[in-house]
Amino acid sequence: MAQARTIFVVAIVAAVLVSAVLAPVAYDYGTSAQSDGTVSVITISGTISSTTVDGISEDLRDARTNESIKAVVLKVDSGGGAVAPSERLYLEVLRTAEQMPVVASVQGVGASGAYYGMLPADEIFVLSSTQVGSVGVIGSGGAVPVPDSVIRSGPDKAQPTTDQRERTVESLKRQFVGRVMEHRGDELSVSREEVAYAKTYLGPKAVENGYADQIGALPTAIDRAAGMAGLENYDVTRQEPPQSLGLVLLTSQTDNGTMIYKRSAQTNGLVPVTRPLMVDEIAPYNPEVNANGSA
Amino acid sequence: MEARDLTGPAVAFVVVVALIVGGAAVLPIFSGGDTPEVSNLAQQQADLDAVRVTAADETGEITMDSDATGKTVLVDKAHENEFSDEKLSTLVNTLVENGHEVRFVTQEQARGSAWNESLRSADALLVANPTQAYTPEQLAGVRAFNDAGGRVLLLSDPASSSGSILSILGLGAGSQQPSSGGPGLSSTFGVAGHSGYLFNMHEYQHNFKSIYATAGRGSLSQDVDRVVFRGSVAVSTDGGQRALTSIEQTKLSTTRRADTYAVAVQSGDVAMVGDTDFLAPTDAYTADNEAFIGNLADFLVSGQKTGNAPGPPSTESENGTGPTLPMPTL
Repeated sequence: MAQARTIFVVAIVAAVLVSAVLAPVAYDYGTSAQSDGTVSVITISGTISSTTVDGISEDLRDARTNESIKAVVLKVDSGGGAVAPSERLYLEVLRTAEQMPVVASVQGVGASGAYYGMLPADEIFVLSSTQVGSVGVIGSGGAVPVPDSVIRSGPDKAQPTTDQRERTVESLKRQFVGRVMEHRGDELSVSREEVAYAKTYLGPKAVENGYADQIGALPTAIDRAAGMAGLENYDVTRQEPPQSLGLVLLTSQTDNGTMIYKRSAQTNGLVPVTRPLMVDEIAPYNPEVNANGSA
Repeated sequence: MEARDLTGPAVAFVVVVALIVGGAAVLPIFSGGDTPEVSNLAQQQADLDAVRVTAADETGEITMDSDATGKTVLVDKAHENEFSDEKLSTLVNTLVENGHEVRFVTQEQARGSAWNESLRSADALLVANPTQAYTPEQLAGVRAFNDAGGRVLLLSDPASSSGSILSILGLGAGSQQPSSGGPGLSSTFGVAGHSGYLFNMHEYQHNFKSIYATAGRGSLSQDVDRVVFRGSVAVSTDGGQRALTSIEQTKLSTTRRADTYAVAVQSGDVAMVGDTDFLAPTDAYTADNEAFIGNLADFLVSGQKTGNAPGPPSTESENGTGPTLPMPTL
């Protein structure tokens, strides 16, 4: 008799333990059964480089292929970066925006390459202290003359002239400004020429001149994205950039496209330290540097 | 347990695995796989013609019209002039090819009476972007030289932190206001430069700082339709000729006012050009720059300098100059 009672108690305890494990799963299931879909919040922060864009592209691709994700919110806090990664980001966001609502929520800065990336968003939310804009390209002028100790196969190898560099920057500017006009031309109250001045605007001004759509924080943007996707009850997933990126970013930030040579003991001559191809930057917007007029 | 007893379960196992794995392999044939449709967004989004930037034509030759020969042009290299030999070479080659002499004044040759001696034997003086101040004696020498008909060509890029060409020349210029024309700005040379640089966001060559300027009046604008200046200063003249003026919608960086600014002026025997980049070999043949360079060379050798000006300090009064000029303030 006593043995039967013991077995009964053990069974109750075991049942409670098992339930404790299963209950959250059941709760989650219950919640998601209530939810109409998921809004994926994808973070775009720091300098835009090929590495950061690799990560963001993957998040965006996941959003496109995961059937439960119905809308994307870009949580942006970046002052830009290199041109090619910014265009890649733009194209990835564009591809996503063709499938589902995309809303951008700018936290501190959404300028230059970051603004390029969020152009296809259906709506851009900013805060009163947010800075957006800086639609322009910055790059170094003609290259430092390559010393005679470096053998090149042709006169233009690693040696662009100032004129060639100007044409490159001008072409990239036209692409950038052209896409701004294409995506936001209807909203913008400033002309193409004024956009090309590459000015950075504060939130309230940006909402007025059409660089952004509304003043609002991230939750508002998420709610708006869900609303656009027709979701009444929704889940939110957050895609943060991997922590290990910090180190990579640091190195890419120091790469300003200048050719640096060092004297090598092995070849008894000068060898290029950085890759010989120039990097065009869509200027990272840095208020402190900007005050000195060099950003 | 005998091995035969295991046969049944083993067969069942294989059949179940084959069904599930095989089913998974066959399923995509009916569901159509998961390859997404790929559209070439990058190309759809780019208006390739609109973003192609073609190189500017570089044609023509730098020629001189003047039939003067054997003139001596002095180039100031004594005031830490920010003017590369590369840019200078265009003008020097033109002058030498046409039978003129070009001399450079080094810092040693500009000390004391040596400066006036150098000027005395010259017909024209070229001063580009000096970053070191002229002494009152040097300035008096230049003025006496100019008053005697010696040609003076001032070239100035936008002022760096070291100050503008005219403030270094002690002319009290470098005005912040366009065309203010206040008495303090009117200089002996009758020319002045504004602060900041000119740009044009509306029509430009490859970069907003590469502005177009069209011909105005005077010999400097002869045969010039339009030139390209990169990073140019607006210059003004008191009673002289505006030889080149920027095209419409050109703005001054400091005031952001749109206007047609003069970028090259001539006032008698003094000319001032608000740029030096047009002399660089890479820019010398763009647009009508080569015609303008030829005109500048002609300007340098077309002066009618009289006497031995500037005279040595003791004989200054012989030339009727010097003492009557107010000493400049630096």
